[in-house]
Amino acid sequence: MNKLQKALVLFFIGTLTIGAAGCGGASTTTQSSSEKTKIEYWHVAAESFGGATVKSLVEQFNKENPDIEVVEKYNPDMYKGLTQNLQAAMASGNNPDVVQMGYSYLNYAAENLKYDNIEELIAKQSPEDKTFLQDNFLPNVLALAKTSDGKQIGIPYSMSVPVLYYNPEIFKQAGLDPDRPPQTWQEVVKAAKTIKDKTGNVGFFMQEYADNWAQQALIESNGGQVLTQKDGKTVAGFDSPEAAEAYQLLADMVKDGSGLHATNEEGFQAFLSGKLGMVCTTIGKRENFEKSAKFTVESTQFPSFAGKTKKVPAGGNFLMVFSKDAQKQKAAWRFIKFLESPESLATWTKGTGYLPPRKGVTEDPNGLKQFTEENKNMQSAMSQMPYIVNWASFPGANGLQAEQALIDVRDIILSGKETAASALKAAAEKVNALL
Amino acid sequence: MKRNHWYAALFLAPAAICLLVFSYLPLIQDVWLSFHTWNMVSPTMKFVGLQNYQQLCSGTELSKVLFNTLLYVFILIILNFILPYLLSFIMAHGMTSCNFFYRSALFIPSTLSLAVASIIFLWILNPLAGPLHIILSEIGLESPRWFKESGFAIAAIGMIIGWKVFGYNLIVMLAAMVAVPQDLLEAAKLENASKWQIFRHIILPLTSPTALYVFVITVVFGLQYVLVPVNMLTQGGPDQGSTNLVYIIYQYGFIFFQTGKAAAFAVLTIFFYSGFLLLKAVLDKKVHYEN
Repeated sequence: MNKLQKALVLFFIGTLTIGAAGCGGASTTTQSSSEKTKIEYWHVAAESFGGATVKSLVEQFNKENPDIEVVEKYNPDMYKGLTQNLQAAMASGNNPDVVQMGYSYLNYAAENLKYDNIEELIAKQSPEDKTFLQDNFLPNVLALAKTSDGKQIGIPYSMSVPVLYYNPEIFKQAGLDPDRPPQTWQEVVKAAKTIKDKTGNVGFFMQEYADNWAQQALIESNGGQVLTQKDGKTVAGFDSPEAAEAYQLLADMVKDGSGLHATNEEGFQAFLSGKLGMVCTTIGKRENFEKSAKFTVESTQFPSFAGKTKKVPAGGNFLMVFSKDAQKQKAAWRFIKFLESPESLATWTKGTGYLPPRKGVTEDPNGLKQFTEENKNMQSAMSQMPYIVNWASFPGANGLQAEQALIDVRDIILSGKETAASALKAAAEKVNALL
Repeated sequence: MKRNHWYAALFLAPAAICLLVFSYLPLIQDVWLSFHTWNMVSPTMKFVGLQNYQQLCSGTELSKVLFNTLLYVFILIILNFILPYLLSFIMAHGMTSCNFFYRSALFIPSTLSLAVASIIFLWILNPLAGPLHIILSEIGLESPRWFKESGFAIAAIGMIIGWKVFGYNLIVMLAAMVAVPQDLLEAAKLENASKWQIFRHIILPLTSPTALYVFVITVVFGLQYVLVPVNMLTQGGPDQGSTNLVYIIYQYGFIFFQTGKAAAFAVLTIFFYSGFLLLKAVLDKKVHYEN
């Protein structure tokens, strides 16, 4: 009994001391940083996905700017998790200052969050940068962080685009020239067929994630639209002949065996083990593909439809500001300028595989000049910058469920149960009922 | 006496409070939430009465989900209840050697997580590069697109869960089979009872309490296990062909952010399970408990 009492007393003293030490520690840090402007940067970069790069960038900024202290905070569960934390933080008045927001959350963020209008912020806090956005970003890239009514709610930061990866060894076996990969969808169909006939391997696979990102690129490159405006309301636009034609092209490939309809992971596994000729998916997979394939992975631009302009939706995120007082707004803007500098963007691209949103980073010797020259696969993504469009963002409370209808219809079309035209029509009715 | 009551209450309190706070309170909250629409981040919830239930019953989704759920139950009962039952009988009363080897070999998969099992099966079932495809193409068959054809998707996911749960259920059943007293069996043999008679009149009743337990966990846990492989491999697809009552709750709640509908589905799931519990209560009467 005596021993137990002693142990308990020791335990309590121990906890008390640790607690006191903790308080002491906390109070000293607040004191030393009180003359600095402290801002919080929220991001979704997990340790395996650019987290180390975010840390090193923030560290560098803090070193170069002794009057500002940026604190980075990782939010798990991507943009959904970040948004939830953001709502909670704003309710309690402790909002962060700079935040990474996903492009597909554009409408949601504009409708539900109290953000700082970025153009007003620049005009007020840093008038000398008034033309910073126009000078450094392509208009189609700036539009990625613009709502449909024209409000610039943030600044594009990370971008990914779809590209066509291919296996040059299979190309050679099939008698195709690996230096002249298909540039149009008609050529893709032909190449897939040749691969199937000559080598027995399946020719083509388009990513089937639980979203319609790559399929949107296909539909819109053929002149179709995923969403369209009608009487001031957003409605489904994918029940058009152009969309059906584009989708039917995929379905026909699957039907004659030259295309694959499978889960994403299955398709990627098959490609990496050399059983599949071409895969259409995000440039974000580049590093992973290059590392795990048994062959040299090569890539080219997302194919177009003959005579039509290609359109590729951007994945990734943009930066939003939520600071309230002037000093923090100034600091936040300086931090954003640092993040969007060619040097930092180059670091970010190398650490993640995202494309830089800013003009000229690719040619800048301080930027990615050397990197792009060495990495051909990066070039096929970067050359698509002029074709970038907004990732369709389904509005309203049922938006995400509406998007699911379009995911479901992909299975219906590719399994050959219905023709693309009739399946898309049925899905459009479902989506319109939900929007 | 009164003092005794106080003591009893005191000792029960921690468990009772936990049960209340972590089981029954969420249950009531769920019912309350099912009358609202809420996207998890908006500060206000909107009361909509029975609208969630109406929408749920009017769509074609519900019948698909219920049908899939029953199909899962059917597959899981075969893989995780009937097969372990038969095999444990053979191992306890028919096999004379290698018992230890089989026991360990069959039990090992249940120590792995479902996520690992899902990845392994994703590779095995790969329609172009997987080992199963290689075997099938040797004998001139084409591998089905396992996760892209609705019946196959449920079968493949059932297989993953079976692979994981089979071993555990087998060991539990085996313990019951081995516990059947030898003297009873020998007495029956002396009386010239047939194998079938021994099984029907001695082994079946004596193992029935354990069998009922395994039956219940097969269904109750099995349907919940579905969540992991479905989320990892099919996300409910193709065209909602592999979803079930448990996954649809997750999908509405955490993918569509329609927590009200998710809650309504959860209430429905409670009814589904209570129907199952009624069945269990009926079976319970037929079970032979020793004490």
